[in-house]
Amino acid sequence: MSLLTRFRGAALLLAVALAAAAWGVGAAQLAEGSKALEAKSCIRPADDMRRNHMEYIHHDRDLVVHKGIRDVDGSLAGCVDCHAGREADGSAIPVNAEGQFCSGCHEYTGTSITCFQCHRKVPEEK
Amino acid sequence: MSTLYALLFMAASITLVVGVGMKIRQYYKTPAPLKIPTTPAPTTQAGVVMRMFREVVFFESLFKSTKWTWIFSWMFHMGLALVLLRHLRYFIDPVWAPIQWIQPFGKYAAFAMVIGLLGLLARRIFVDRVRYISAPSDYLMLLLLIFIGFSGLMMTFVVHTDIVAVKYFFNNLWTFGWGPLPMDFPLLVHITLVIVLLAIFPFSKLLHVPGVFFSPSRNQVDNPREQRHIVPWAEALEKKD
Repeated sequence: MSLLTRFRGAALLLAVALAAAAWGVGAAQLAEGSKALEAKSCIRPADDMRRNHMEYIHHDRDLVVHKGIRDVDGSLAGCVDCHAGREADGSAIPVNAEGQFCSGCHEYTGTSITCFQCHRKVPEEK
Repeated sequence: MSTLYALLFMAASITLVVGVGMKIRQYYKTPAPLKIPTTPAPTTQAGVVMRMFREVVFFESLFKSTKWTWIFSWMFHMGLALVLLRHLRYFIDPVWAPIQWIQPFGKYAAFAMVIGLLGLLARRIFVDRVRYISAPSDYLMLLLLIFIGFSGLMMTFVVHTDIVAVKYFFNNLWTFGWGPLPMDFPLLVHITLVIVLLAIFPFSKLLHVPGVFFSPSRNQVDNPREQRHIVPWAEALEKKD
């Protein structure tokens, strides 16, 4: 019996598992009904945002709060406006509600979010 | 590349579990024919449990012998304990509440850990009598742990990685459902060195982790007069006469 036939079952299982994994990770975690769903990309590449969004938010906070420079190129309000999901009736869901854009990953990794103790978590209604 | 890391990590984990299991079995079966608790020693079993607790948690005998070694060693081990608890968040889903609470402590404990390790390395290099008895593997373990700690600190404080992808990778490892590991340099260094550490653990001085519990001079009750200490094989010989 050749090696290939002997481990055919295992090899098949491995191939299926790898394919499933590749598919599962590719799926985006954007919130239902959010503006981000229609946008072509975030204000910076998604890979960069996944790693560094907290630094950008802190950086802008320092500029605005410590130095009084209000004209920053991104803002937490902007994140919320674009990423808050909406119910079928159009009402906004807080970004830190269970399974929503922020808390989806933050709960998964046990990372606390302190932004929304002060800042609003739904888009500003105009 | 991710597949290579996944397979290596699995092989290293299996080596760790099986290897340490076999070592524990060996330690368990090794006879302790003599009654040799280091005195003053507890005279009851409960006392021995307390002594072992102080030894494992506070490193009592090291404290009594060398303060400098104790302070660096204790910093490192306590730091490592918190850091390891913090890392549980990558392996369990959902993350338990106590593990969420210790996240900030684990983050800064990493500094204590690395400073402790650097102290222990300095001891090996600058204390003549310690340098004289230091083997290459003594340095290897310290350097491995230092670089693991340093690459981890780099990820926490300087160049972040995509931790959601990291958790996905490890959470789905054993069902062969791992996703891509982010190809970030500090992460790859970190994981490579951890794989090496896991794989050599059962063949290294790091076996003091299970070993401390099997030390006859620490785990014996000081009651040779009240109760005769005799191992089964010696008893069999005695009966034959």
